[in-house]
Amino acid sequence: MADVTTNSPRLILTDTNFRLWLPLLWIGVIAAAALLAPLIAPHDPLAQDLMLERLPPFFMDGSEPGYWLGTDSLGRDVLSRIIYGARIALFVSLIAATTTGIFGSALGLIAGFYGGWADRVISRLVDIWMAFPPVLFAVLLVAVMGTGLGSVIAAIALIDWTRFARVIRAETMVQARMDYVDSARIGGARRAATLVSEILPNVMPSIIALLMLEMGIAVIVEAILSFVNLSISSDDPTWGSMIAEGRGAIHFAWWVLLFPLIALFMTVLSFSTLGEGLKQRFDPVLK
Amino acid sequence: MTSTTAHTHTLDIINLNIALPRGQRLLRNVSLQLEPGEVRALVGESGAGKSMIGKAVLGILPHKIKMTEGEILLEGAHLNAMTPATRRRTVAKMSALIPQDPLTALNPVRKIGPQITDPLIRIHGWSHQRALARARELLDRVHIRAPDRVMHSYPHELSGGMRQRILIAAAFAPSPRLIVADEPTTALDVTVQKQILRLIRELQRETGTAVLFVTHDMGVVAKISQKVTVLFAGRVIEDAATHTVFENPAHPYTQALIAATPTPNVSARPFQPVPSALIAELHRDTVAADALFAQRGRR
Ligand SMILES: Nc1ncnc2c1ncn2[C@@H]1O[C@H](COP(=O)(O)OP(=O)(O)OP(=O)(O)O)[C@@H](O)[C@H]1O
Ligand SMILES: [Mg+2]
Repeated sequence: MADVTTNSPRLILTDTNFRLWLPLLWIGVIAAAALLAPLIAPHDPLAQDLMLERLPPFFMDGSEPGYWLGTDSLGRDVLSRIIYGARIALFVSLIAATTTGIFGSALGLIAGFYGGWADRVISRLVDIWMAFPPVLFAVLLVAVMGTGLGSVIAAIALIDWTRFARVIRAETMVQARMDYVDSARIGGARRAATLVSEILPNVMPSIIALLMLEMGIAVIVEAILSFVNLSISSDDPTWGSMIAEGRGAIHFAWWVLLFPLIALFMTVLSFSTLGEGLKQRFDPVLK
Repeated sequence: MTSTTAHTHTLDIINLNIALPRGQRLLRNVSLQLEPGEVRALVGESGAGKSMIGKAVLGILPHKIKMTEGEILLEGAHLNAMTPATRRRTVAKMSALIPQDPLTALNPVRKIGPQITDPLIRIHGWSHQRALARARELLDRVHIRAPDRVMHSYPHELSGGMRQRILIAAAFAPSPRLIVADEPTTALDVTVQKQILRLIRELQRETGTAVLFVTHDMGVVAKISQKVTVLFAGRVIEDAATHTVFENPAHPYTQALIAATPTPNVSARPFQPVPSALIAELHRDTVAADALFAQRGRR
């Protein structure tokens, strides 16, 4: 199967290209923007200029050179704010997803592999946890902990570890019953060692796929919390707060809403597509 | 039978009982011995408990299934008396498994090479080089061309027959005293089955390893083993030399089992399945025996 796709004349949009390279390209662009924000942003994202308020993007009449995607109601450059917003979005998603992933996967591996009371305790905890409505939970948490990036990350990890725990537990249970685990034990491997060296590599593709999905989710959650003004201070350029502000001006300055929305949408979509693409890429059986 | 006897059996199972948590017995007072270099066939219908015996010896019984009674001695050493860690090392040092399904017995995301050399390095303390050389030697012996390339492959890149030959190589690589072969040819197609069987027999003769050969094919039994244990519903109902069993089977179930074996040269004889009345009777016996056992336990 793999041979056929690599040997046949290539289309630009083969399945692999679509699932792997396209999202990687977009995430690369966003990551570059985040890293190089001070160098590439044409303007200060916080600089207000009421003389320049609600300038339209470059392809419309009345646009100002240098303000490619226009300005918002306070005259701040939309493109620069999206670029700086990428910093917060990527930072939050990276930290939140890895925290969530490590914590949830570890619990899932333990529950699925050891079974017994460890599994009962962890599974019960997951059930109880999932009974809370997640958004309410996040809002409550941030309200208690106070706004700020730390609370946002903690909220994401505390809500979403159950996704990893559930999926990885189920996969671990399937793998733990496989004969190769017995083979390793007959070969003298300790029980815990078979979990790490035999089973973990088999569930790794799923962990990676979930991790990507989680990064997408983290971007959304951060945006939602910004939208309801519970993320970091409202001055900081986040995609969520930009969308919230743009909403009020949608009839006369749609670009304030649309461009950050596109950035958000593309990023979330890229992460979840990339997850699937990576899973296929790194699973020697699926490949 | 005990360690005071002059020679030690390679494997000595004494009065083994295995049960589910609620007390249903899967093995009932099973005893069997393997002499050094001997091949013993373990036959019986599906669900008789053949694999359970192998798993009990190798220490891979499923979570909830426990040994309730009995002794297992490997080269004279009492496995039950050992700490789990010592037992694990002892079993790994002295025994190996040729599994039924060569697809699931190899880890799909790990390359073949380390899957063969891991135990050699971990348990026998060999250097990486020495383990690799040994793996190469054994792969060559099981007629695998380009062993180095194969060791760098993943299991799914190889055919079923090739995977089973790799598992045979892996089993013989540490020069174990005992190999449990659990229906090693059932998952393969007929042409490959013969090759695999021949390979196991050849290697067994060359190395003098004792083999507990699980099968339900009496034709295979005749070809490969010197002794036979017939198992029914977790009980040993016949234990004798292979030729005795074929010439003069003592138990009606064994007689029926041999009658049910299609023989290629006697094509005139119709195929006779094991009579269901006999199987029903044997199951009644088992239930009665269990009731007796339960009574004895209560007293
Ligand atoms: N994990 C398990 N939990 C509960 N019962 C089990 C489990 N594994 C096996 N058994 C039961 O133990 C009995 C013996 O099973 P075993 O696998 O040893 O049979 P077998 O003789 O090897 O049969 P086959 O020829 O089909 O491989 C069967 O009745 C089976 O239902
Ligand atoms: Mg079996």
